[in-house]
Amino acid sequence: MMTGAPFVQLVHCPTLEDRATVESLIAQLPGGDRPADRGFDEPWQLRAFALAVTAHKAGRFEWVQFQAALIASIKKWEETHALDDPSWSYYEHWVTAFETVLAQLGLLDTPSLESRTAHVLATPPHKDHHEAHLDPVAVHPAVKT
Amino acid sequence: MSYPENILRKSDDQVQKHITARVKALESMLVEQGVFSTSMVDRMAEIFENEVGPHLGANVVAKAWVDPEYKSRLLKDGTAACKELGYSGLQGEDMMWVENTDDVHHVVVCTLCSCYPWPVLGLPPNWFKEPQYRSRAVRDPRGLLKEEFGVDIPIEKEIKVWDSSSEMRFIVIPQRPAGTEGWSKDQLAKLVTRDSMTGCGLATAA
Repeated sequence: MMTGAPFVQLVHCPTLEDRATVESLIAQLPGGDRPADRGFDEPWQLRAFALAVTAHKAGRFEWVQFQAALIASIKKWEETHALDDPSWSYYEHWVTAFETVLAQLGLLDTPSLESRTAHVLATPPHKDHHEAHLDPVAVHPAVKT
Repeated sequence: MSYPENILRKSDDQVQKHITARVKALESMLVEQGVFSTSMVDRMAEIFENEVGPHLGANVVAKAWVDPEYKSRLLKDGTAACKELGYSGLQGEDMMWVENTDDVHHVVVCTLCSCYPWPVLGLPPNWFKEPQYRSRAVRDPRGLLKEEFGVDIPIEKEIKVWDSSSEMRFIVIPQRPAGTEGWSKDQLAKLVTRDSMTGCGLATAA
């Protein structure tokens, strides 16, 4: 006789085959990907990607110029790290490459970039919005006839 | 897959915070310099996040499976044949499709960085950009496919590894699964995964 909360028994543990079947299905769903399959882990990566492509589309540089800078940055990392070093971050190389190209074009204003970065870091998101506002922020009165 | 262990992003919150701020700063600097507007960047991000992806390449493969004339055009000039379906653009200027057969299995890698045919596959997954994939695909493709992707290519079958570069990007036409005779193009396209078009998977009619 069971008393209290019902006791749930797992009658079937998913096997490797089960997982493989499901994986091929969810791999096709947006957001259902295995983490390794995702293109971007963090919002800044998508943004950095879009910045470089947009600047290229705006005619600022040839894509091969960017590619050469990307290859150089990755090569430098690989010469000084083990291939499975967990500090690997593809999009950090992307940002480095983008900055390299901007510098080549004379578009990288380093002091300005540093001070803007510091400013962003010093400005927490929603900096004046930390208290709960429990009352309506505005009330527009109803007109009863 | 053992890659997820290796590719886990840096957990260091400070690093993420700092680079997020730096990317924001870069954007505001370039907007001020008149290089682009924020809405141009927004649009580009939206396209690559939501609109371009391997479902486009799957349409190409499905069409090639059902239309032999299209397939011969695709093998002869991949860029032009993709353009017929409206798929072209950056990182798709020169595309070469290679066809898997009973005798040969093709695998694509970019040994130096991450050259990848964006217009038909979208952006590369993390593992494609990983140093380990890039090096092992060349050194030991058979072992890599078996151990990392669960794809066992029989020893009698040759494996050809293609190095995508900025000058030429490769895409695989997987073998059409048995038992799909008479299927429509749309039904077939659903069988074509991104991995199968990089040669790290097979198209299967499960």
